Amino acid sequence: MTPTAPSAEAFQPKDYKSDLKPIWCPGCGDYGVVQAIYRALAAIGRPPHEIAFISGIGCSSRIPGYTSAYGFNSVHGRALPIAQGIKIARPDLLVLAAGGDGDGFSIGGNHVPHTIRRNLDLTYIVMDNQIYGLTKGQLSPTSPRGRETVTSAYGSMEAPVNPLLYVLAFGAPFVAQGTPADMAGLASIIEEGIRYPGFAFINVESPCVTYGEEDHQLKDHRAAMIPLQSLGHDPSSRIKAMDLAQEYGTKLYTGVFYRNPTPPPTFEALTRERQEKLSAGAPPREKILDLFIQR
Amino acid sequence: MSKDLVIGMAGSGGDGIVAAGESLIAAAAYQGYNAIMTKSFGSQIRGGESSCRIRLSTQPTLNPGGRLDVAVALNWEDFMRFGAELPVSGTTVVIYESKTGVAPDRLPLVGVSPAESLPVPIGDMAKQIAGTDRAKNTIVLGLLCGWFGIGEEAIRHGFRKRLKKKGAEVLEGAERAFAAGIAYAREHPLKQPRSLDPPEAQPGTKLLTDGNDMCAAAAIFAGCQFFSGYPITPSTEIMQFFSREIWKYGGALMQAEDEIAGIGAALGASFAGKKAMTATSGPGVSLKTEIMGLATIAELPLVVVNVQRGGPSTGMPTKSEQADLFQAVFSAHGDVLRPVLAPTCVADTFRVTVEAFNLAEKYQTPVVVLSDQEIAQRKETVDPIDTSAFHLEERRRPTPGEIEDYQRFRFTDSGISPLSHPGMCRGNYLGSGIEHNESGAPTASGSMHERMNEKRFRKLRPLRRRRDLFLIEGDPSAPLALVSWGSSAGVCREAAAKARAEGLQVKVLVPYLLYPVAEDIYREFFATVQAGLVVEQSYQGQLYRLLRMFLNVPAGIQPMARSGANPFLPSEVLTRLREVARELHRRHGHTLQPQE
Amino acid sequence: MTLRGIDFSKLSLKDALDLAILIEEEAQERYDEFSDQMDIHRTPEAAAFFRTMSGNEQRHGEELRKRRERLFPKEPRTVNRSMIFDIEAPDYDQARAFMTPRQAMQSALRSEEKAHAFFVAALPQIGDAEVRALFGELRDEEVEHQDLVKRAMAKLPPDSGPPPEGFVDDPVAQ
Repeated sequence: MTPTAPSAEAFQPKDYKSDLKPIWCPGCGDYGVVQAIYRALAAIGRPPHEIAFISGIGCSSRIPGYTSAYGFNSVHGRALPIAQGIKIARPDLLVLAAGGDGDGFSIGGNHVPHTIRRNLDLTYIVMDNQIYGLTKGQLSPTSPRGRETVTSAYGSMEAPVNPLLYVLAFGAPFVAQGTPADMAGLASIIEEGIRYPGFAFINVESPCVTYGEEDHQLKDHRAAMIPLQSLGHDPSSRIKAMDLAQEYGTKLYTGVFYRNPTPPPTFEALTRERQEKLSAGAPPREKILDLFIQR
Repeated sequence: MSKDLVIGMAGSGGDGIVAAGESLIAAAAYQGYNAIMTKSFGSQIRGGESSCRIRLSTQPTLNPGGRLDVAVALNWEDFMRFGAELPVSGTTVVIYESKTGVAPDRLPLVGVSPAESLPVPIGDMAKQIAGTDRAKNTIVLGLLCGWFGIGEEAIRHGFRKRLKKKGAEVLEGAERAFAAGIAYAREHPLKQPRSLDPPEAQPGTKLLTDGNDMCAAAAIFAGCQFFSGYPITPSTEIMQFFSREIWKYGGALMQAEDEIAGIGAALGASFAGKKAMTATSGPGVSLKTEIMGLATIAELPLVVVNVQRGGPSTGMPTKSEQADLFQAVFSAHGDVLRPVLAPTCVADTFRVTVEAFNLAEKYQTPVVVLSDQEIAQRKETVDPIDTSAFHLEERRRPTPGEIEDYQRFRFTDSGISPLSHPGMCRGNYLGSGIEHNESGAPTASGSMHERMNEKRFRKLRPLRRRRDLFLIEGDPSAPLALVSWGSSAGVCREAAAKARAEGLQVKVLVPYLLYPVAEDIYREFFATVQAGLVVEQSYQGQLYRLLRMFLNVPAGIQPMARSGANPFLPSEVLTRLREVARELHRRHGHTLQPQE
Repeated sequence: MTLRGIDFSKLSLKDALDLAILIEEEAQERYDEFSDQMDIHRTPEAAAFFRTMSGNEQRHGEELRKRRERLFPKEPRTVNRSMIFDIEAPDYDQARAFMTPRQAMQSALRSEEKAHAFFVAALPQIGDAEVRALFGELRDEEVEHQDLVKRAMAKLPPDSGPPPEGFVDDPVAQ
């Protein structure tokens, strides 16, 4: 991999760190995620005040507060609609959205396909730990069948959501997966997702050290992870990506699953086109009521 | 000659009766009349029963009017389905399709003998003259024109414009049918001629639109740059207006996947520094409630329009009601105070919507606008509005001094903190739904929470002194009072005017600002009042209850409240007001004898 | 730990010094993060130890910075943080709430061993003689650092008794 543009280091990773000290349990994967985000943002070099970082509710949704960007820690499952409103209103901003697997695929599930089909240039990072941590260990939509939790005392009876397959099927133009067990890889896919001109989905297997399974922690990720590059995977084929994505839950593939080589137009680009076309010769706002004059 | 004419027409969707109504009101507006048109339908998407009421007047019209002066029935089954919405009385001229085979003295109107009953071979005339019986509605226009003197030229001009795209054959057929209708009317004059006085205003000056379009236009005028929402009857037209127009003003629209995404995206746009709005009806507000609370604690401006319809739950989507006041005021977990405004007609929908944006931006709060289906979907003429007379508020942004060591929720005397937005250097902050301290960092401290609640409530206190958001008419010392809001207000103002003409001393209060309750303004109003009514369309009489929660409403003030889909008529309010006056006289010997 | 885009065979002395400084910075920041985590999770002894480690890394970094200033004053840096990940900084999963001082020191020891391994692996690839000398120096320092930590561990009283996990409160839902 070639290094990012040298010398003009406008910002250091710590410039993106806020003064708020995280309350995540020590050992939580999310510490790695936020560090990887600092690295990715430093590599990109946008000033913190031009970044908007929106989240829902959950342990992982605390993440905007630990960055120096304009953060919005909103309500459960609604990060994507709010992020879209921000991006449409101010397409010049760098917009990030984040949350957990429950925030994104349970209560927030309906917003995922529509955000994807609108294709705004924003990056959605899901910290997937197969559990509801903030509320003390309940079943989550990505928990495997049979998993015993405080709300599935005898084991989950449901098949889990496959977030990778979902977003690929919904048409996301950029889909990647990472783990804090591989910090360089994680920072790299986050950077790439941000740079991709369209909606980017990054699933991060970020284990919960308090409620997660003992054998699904970072040390296990390190051993189990399989970089997609090492398989010679071609990320320009959605079908090949979906084929690999089917193994979510059994294999931990890291890297870029899919990258649409011909990025589709973004909602905000189409908005700008329409605004330019229709505002030429339009009357001023003060005369809008002229539309109602009966002639 | 009359100054005021209320025409009610019914048929089935295929008869084009509403299209005729649209032509009629457009012509009348062009001519310079004051006019209001309401429509009512069955539940089929098309082809069901369909009706419209048009009130035309040389005087300002405050409501769609009372009993019909003219009733047009293309068939009786459909006409009767509308029941009390098309009230025929002894002064009504009834025009109906002769092919129904009903004899003029055998109309299916129970206990009513109309002034005149005129069977007309409308369908046959249409077939003969225009080649299709679908031209019935144009025949009807001709009849109305011929019998009541409503602008012939204006109507012709109107359907020429409308039908030009449908081809020469259709246009010619329509012209012939229209002429035939006029001729028939002239050949069969009314026993008691009744034509409308010519209008006082100049032709081509009046605006004609409905409440939804007016709301959207006002929002854009106020600087709204972002709208997102979800289709729901009866508010969807607001989004549709944005879909056509917002781009021209550099703004954007997003039709969201659900109600929650609709308000979420609007809140995001506000967070990003733009004026933003969403619109819905009762069921949508239920879904949006969580994010409305988020806007309150995050202290972000946001306008939420609720075009009220019959509730609860799915209720009656195409009918008007005023039963979402409790929801607008109280539906929130936690201690939430948010301003609630309500227009009373299409004309004041403009200033109420503009004011909603002003309050939202100034006080950094969500503001609910309670319109209702009647105002939203009725067409009304509006006198030209001088937009230059309106002041537009912008949110208080941090000055260069204030951005030093910026604290988003800094305690200030007014309770309003300077508000930054992404892109503003050094203004970075964490917005959130979690309780926070001055810098926005999460807190679980009871004392900080108390101070923040206090701030959020205190900043809205100046609203209690906003006399300009109340309409008060009549003798200030009057002992009788009417209080009303939304679409019921215009009915009450007309009833009160009639009551005053009979010698009753009655004054009217119409709040545009429903919440917070401006206690002092009400107290001052009620100080002279011995008896009266709070008139509204909700089973519980929600404004009446709300006022009693916050102040001592005089014991003589009673609710005149009933469920929606049954709008008050001025005559009903007048009758009840006379009863109240009589009762008061009986009890106190006051000299307010109504003259009957 | 990972490196990106570093060609050791062509690595210049300036870049090597800068990389070494970045490695120390990363470690210092990480130990700061760990001590904050320990403070917030009321594990003061581990917090104090991590703070000491942060101080050590800061000092090492200062020494390297001074050397760099002397040799290459005012020359801009051409390497950056994207090129190094967790070389000497302890991996995030090394921290645990209620960790004992021994556990904290063990994590530091593992980090020094990691750093040592980095320099050992890099050395055979280095082209420039001065850089080789520098890396040799740094490799040896890592051994010294490990000894420091081992000595500190030796001073600890033996871990005795049941693990703290058995006595701490249950987690709290938020």
